[in-house]
Amino acid sequence: MKDRLFRDILPRVAKPARYTGSELNMIRKDWEQAGVKMVFAFPDVYEVGMSHVGGKILYGLVNEKSRHLLERVFAPWPDMEAIMRAEQIPMFSLESFRPVLDFEVLGFSLQYELSITNVLNMLDLAGIPLWSRERNEAHPLVIAGGPVVFNPEPFADFFDIFIIGDGEEVLLEFLDKVETSRGLEKVEKLKRLAAIEGVYAPALYNIEYREDGILKSFEPRFPGVPARVRKRVVKDLDQAYYPDKPLVPYMEITHDRAVLEVMRGCQRGCRFCHAGIVYRPVRERSLETLESQARHQLQNTGYEEISLASLSSLDYSGIDPLLKGLVGNYGEKGIGVSLPSLRVDAFSIDLANEVQKVRKTTLTLAPEAGTQRLRDIINKNVSEEQLLDAVEAAFKSGWLSLKLYFMIGLPGEREEDLEGIIEILQKVKYIGDKYSRRPVEIRASLASFVPKAHTPFQWRPQNTMAELDSKQQFLSRRRRKRIKLSFHDRRTSYLEGVIARGDRRLAPVIYLAWQKGCKFDGWSEYFNFDNWQDAFRESEVEPEFYTGRQRPYEESFPWDFIDIGVSKEFLQEEDQKAEEGLTTADCRQEGCSDCGICLAMEVSLNIKGGNVDALEKQI
Amino acid sequence: MRLRSRYRVGPELKFLGNLDMMHLMERSLRRAAIPYALSEGFNPHIKLSMGTVLPVGLWGENEYFDLELSQRMDIIDFRQKLSVALPSCLQLGECQEINDSAPSLMKIINAASYVFLLEPPFPSLDKWKEELLARPSLTVRSRGKKKGLDKELRTGIYRIEVEQSLNFGRVEIWVAVGEPVNVRYDELGELLLQTGFTQKSIAEVFRSGNYIREGSSYLSPLEVRLDKHTSPCGHSGVPPCGVTIKVGGMRVNK
Repeated sequence: MKDRLFRDILPRVAKPARYTGSELNMIRKDWEQAGVKMVFAFPDVYEVGMSHVGGKILYGLVNEKSRHLLERVFAPWPDMEAIMRAEQIPMFSLESFRPVLDFEVLGFSLQYELSITNVLNMLDLAGIPLWSRERNEAHPLVIAGGPVVFNPEPFADFFDIFIIGDGEEVLLEFLDKVETSRGLEKVEKLKRLAAIEGVYAPALYNIEYREDGILKSFEPRFPGVPARVRKRVVKDLDQAYYPDKPLVPYMEITHDRAVLEVMRGCQRGCRFCHAGIVYRPVRERSLETLESQARHQLQNTGYEEISLASLSSLDYSGIDPLLKGLVGNYGEKGIGVSLPSLRVDAFSIDLANEVQKVRKTTLTLAPEAGTQRLRDIINKNVSEEQLLDAVEAAFKSGWLSLKLYFMIGLPGEREEDLEGIIEILQKVKYIGDKYSRRPVEIRASLASFVPKAHTPFQWRPQNTMAELDSKQQFLSRRRRKRIKLSFHDRRTSYLEGVIARGDRRLAPVIYLAWQKGCKFDGWSEYFNFDNWQDAFRESEVEPEFYTGRQRPYEESFPWDFIDIGVSKEFLQEEDQKAEEGLTTADCRQEGCSDCGICLAMEVSLNIKGGNVDALEKQI
Repeated sequence: MRLRSRYRVGPELKFLGNLDMMHLMERSLRRAAIPYALSEGFNPHIKLSMGTVLPVGLWGENEYFDLELSQRMDIIDFRQKLSVALPSCLQLGECQEINDSAPSLMKIINAASYVFLLEPPFPSLDKWKEELLARPSLTVRSRGKKKGLDKELRTGIYRIEVEQSLNFGRVEIWVAVGEPVNVRYDELGELLLQTGFTQKSIAEVFRSGNYIREGSSYLSPLEVRLDKHTSPCGHSGVPPCGVTIKVGGMRVNK
């Protein structure tokens, strides 16, 4: 297989290094000696999939810490797919070049709703039946994890198992049980596996819908199968596995650097944010752990850059000593530190300057909305004054370009909020030009708001494509020189919205869309909205049902059975506060806001710098 | 301190682009904790310069890089440390100290050799060679800067060696790099297709060497000698430099 690939196949495709494997730090375990053989599948192209930190964690965890084996596979780019289909080459893993069909478990990482068509395409390329009910004991168990599976229902008919929550907490336990359940009938196997907390086997449940389409009941079909599935949580990140020797690809990938995950979760409570709710509570890694992880990773990878990853890295309680330590230890070796999106305040800019001593990174701020009123509604607790202070500090210290993130289509949005975005951009530009010798460049990325399951806005309707279109046009007309606006494709946002709050009745639509050729839907050059629209029409599924309605508070949702630890009551209160324009403070600073997570998961906030402010305020 | 090293890029790495190869080398230098020198400025980079670009799809038996160190280091120590850090499909060969003022690899390399490994059926190689070299003109469609135009390769084809057995053939062609005409491996491939070979018969292609051609000698960038007495920079203790040429045998790797 490998010889044929290197000699006949790869010379004919673009970026052949996507398919060659043997990267530095690759682990190839002995097939015969290994326990369960699992292949980790990322439903996007190699350079995107290899940038994903979760995959690196699971790869190292299974291969280093257990007798099981984990190999990798990514979605082949359409040029490679065409050759694979023409020459009947099945999907193969990058470690042993074995067909995916040879593995016992095929685990997909679902990071984005629209990657589902790539999942189907990969199953098809592997020669595996797409529908769970058409697979038997002889087929690999097809499973999925990742943020998207907090509402697994639209995909329930394609997967045998979903793993909800922090994967490293449950995967080894899961694989052990797969091993001891060998030889069992599929449904028996699923029952055994579903006994593990965080494991959801959709085939074990009966679902009924009312005549108006609303969920009527969701019940286990067998005794002993849990009625609710609770997410798994790593309680102490210092104890959790993190790879010291991550894979280093040969070709350039999207995020081509060492990554420190400084914390997991975010307590800011932005009401639109899915990750901010489902990954609660905040758990930090200690400074000592991070310093040791940085040292090992850099030693073992030779990377020229290290990035601090998390939902809000500048909220890490030890951010100042951590950054200073990294710059001090590695700066003179030419190793840079990079920060993702910054918090909007001057303190952040000071830290960014610290980082800039080594290597200049793009400065990105996310005010999200154009007016204070709307920022209060979405609970983005940033004032215009803070924003402009941050901008002033940035331009004063020599940055020449700035990127700002906004959203359009937020609940309660009015024309003045759109005007507000333009006003902010103009003010930012004015400040920039004052401090800089040459005209500064301002770029704004305007995403369309998509209401997500398990967030305070899960009851809200999404803007229609026509509404988003007129908002985009409104903003484009008011655009000024040297301010660049970029919009998300409103059709992708729409589809993302349908799936994000979808249910099992979407499966035929997804299947049909794939049959019509949909794949790489996250890539504008491949996204084909007409095919999707046809698929909805032919399946007689009304997408507006999922996105267009204001949903009543008493409605049962298809994802309610997934217990994320945060209570539905809290989400409802947050939505009501949004209606009144009231904000909710970060519980680290102002005390508990009663979201329910700490009680439910028997955890507490794990803030390494101590919850001093919060404690003082409570006293 | 400046070092020149030879390395082999194995077939597993033949699909790497030039930038990928640079990154791989830089990351290996960091893993090996080599005291490399950095350039100044906001984006400091390792003072590493590679020889001519190894085309994507080819492996290379004899490739070269120059590296500047920020402090002196024992060469054996350097070789050992870097070898451990390199992936197994990339092997480090000889390393030598070179003069600070020695011209870069890019400046001195003016010839290269490519090997085509053949599977039957293919024409008689001796006859093919004789006929080819007897032709005053060899034109192919250019793959380089003037894409699509006819390109005359004859003056850039220096030498051909062939080897043939019942089920195997090997053609090695020494060509000009840069002047008088830059001959690319894919243009040689086309030449083969024009003269009786099929795509199917070409099993593998690799670059066997990079040279400094002086008259009829092909010297490797490590064989180029500095005449101690005429050293332009006076570092008489440092022998290899890219100024004057030792008249010597050529390196042919088979």
